[in-house]
Amino acid sequence: MAVCTVYTIQTLNSTCSISKPNKTHLGFHQKQVVFYRTSKKIKKQSTITCTAANEKTVVIGLAADSGCGKSTFMRRLTNVFGGAAEPPKGGNPDSNTLISDMTTVICLDDYHSLDRTGRKKEGVTALDPKANDFDLMYEQVKAIKEGIAVDKPIYNHVSGLLDPPELIKPPKILVIEGLHPMFDQRVRDLLDFSIYLDISNDVKFAWKIQRDMAERGHSLESIKASIEARKPDFDAYIDPQKQYADAVIEVLPTQLIPGDNEGKVLRVRLIMKEGVKYFNPVYLFDEGSTINWIPCGRKLTCSYPGIKFSYGPDTYFGHEVSVLEMDGQFDRLDELIYVESHLSNISTKFYGEVTQQMLKLSDFPGSNNGTGLFQTIVGLKIRDLYEQLIAAKAAAPLQATKA
Amino acid sequence: VRPVAAAPEKISEKVEESIKSAEEKCSEDPVSGECAAAWDEVEELSAAASHARDKKKDSDPLETFCKDNPETDECRTYDN
Repeated sequence: MAVCTVYTIQTLNSTCSISKPNKTHLGFHQKQVVFYRTSKKIKKQSTITCTAANEKTVVIGLAADSGCGKSTFMRRLTNVFGGAAEPPKGGNPDSNTLISDMTTVICLDDYHSLDRTGRKKEGVTALDPKANDFDLMYEQVKAIKEGIAVDKPIYNHVSGLLDPPELIKPPKILVIEGLHPMFDQRVRDLLDFSIYLDISNDVKFAWKIQRDMAERGHSLESIKASIEARKPDFDAYIDPQKQYADAVIEVLPTQLIPGDNEGKVLRVRLIMKEGVKYFNPVYLFDEGSTINWIPCGRKLTCSYPGIKFSYGPDTYFGHEVSVLEMDGQFDRLDELIYVESHLSNISTKFYGEVTQQMLKLSDFPGSNNGTGLFQTIVGLKIRDLYEQLIAAKAAAPLQATKA
Repeated sequence: VRPVAAAPEKISEKVEESIKSAEEKCSEDPVSGECAAAWDEVEELSAAASHARDKKKDSDPLETFCKDNPETDECRTYDN
């Protein structure tokens, strides 16, 4: 049901008013009411566009440590919904927010209560809950979910200071990404879906070497020391969040090459919680069975070390889950369509959509292994979840009027 | 004039400085909160530096030019 308000202004030839989405416009998205004047006659003309008032924002949480590919995942996710994600136009150039037509991604570092000098003085890391303002995080995420625009602070990663806030308008889909999206129970309860990127220590080390070795001052020792120093806080505050996630993407060293620690060939596991509303886990061949599949053979030529898939039911922190695993990497993306045709429940709109999505972003990290494949699949599952949630919300008031 | 995001070179210097200060802090007491906070700063700056590098790498010279000059011969595109 759409609820529209028409404002009548008598003296239209004096000033024109454009209503901005403010705290009073519950459930409205963007500018809705525009008045304009026509010549000297006092004639009311108004254009009114309304979005359905029940179209609330869907909130997705993504948790991962820094340098674990959150931004790659975010770009894959926004690409599923179409359109490129860009920082807010004309604002702070160091803003962490990304906005596209459908999605707004906010970085939870913006809710640091202590800036860099503050953390140093207190002797706490950014991973410590003491350095974060969960009350503000809860209030603002709740407000956006209810369709109210908020002034969100900006944590500047270059200067390490909290910059003046920026206005965040309620999008169709809000993604909160960072270290603690599932830490506070109030924030956790606001999430419609949650994802945790779990990168094993060996792979994290290999990735950080690739990322930082070119950087001045960095050495193997400094990278190792940085990981070691943050580990106690990571284990205490970040890692436990994975038990609450609806989907976990686990990245491990390969088992196909004995003793490999380069972090180039990966074993990636997609752990999907059972019984989550609007989320049907993906399966391979037969739902609920335990299957090992090596797609290489007469129909598909693979080079060393090949590809190996596994699928099966499991338990994860006492929850029933389905696990899909891929070890190895694709040499050519046309292999992927062969794999895609054997997966079910991937929420595609047409045959080959996963492959097409992967081809579109073929220069992104992880496009030739399970990280890119599973991130794309999770993106499609989120689209499916969003569409079902919106459909359910539209149907709910309809049923109420019938009764 | 629109402010411009910090250049990667400037962040690189900061990374170098932060590593030095972290190594100093941790030589005094390797398991203190100060030591962890110092290495956390290194991580934050390294991540910012790598993001800035990626942004720079992504930019195609022709596309950057065409954003500002869509009417020139080399940039004009028609849908039909």
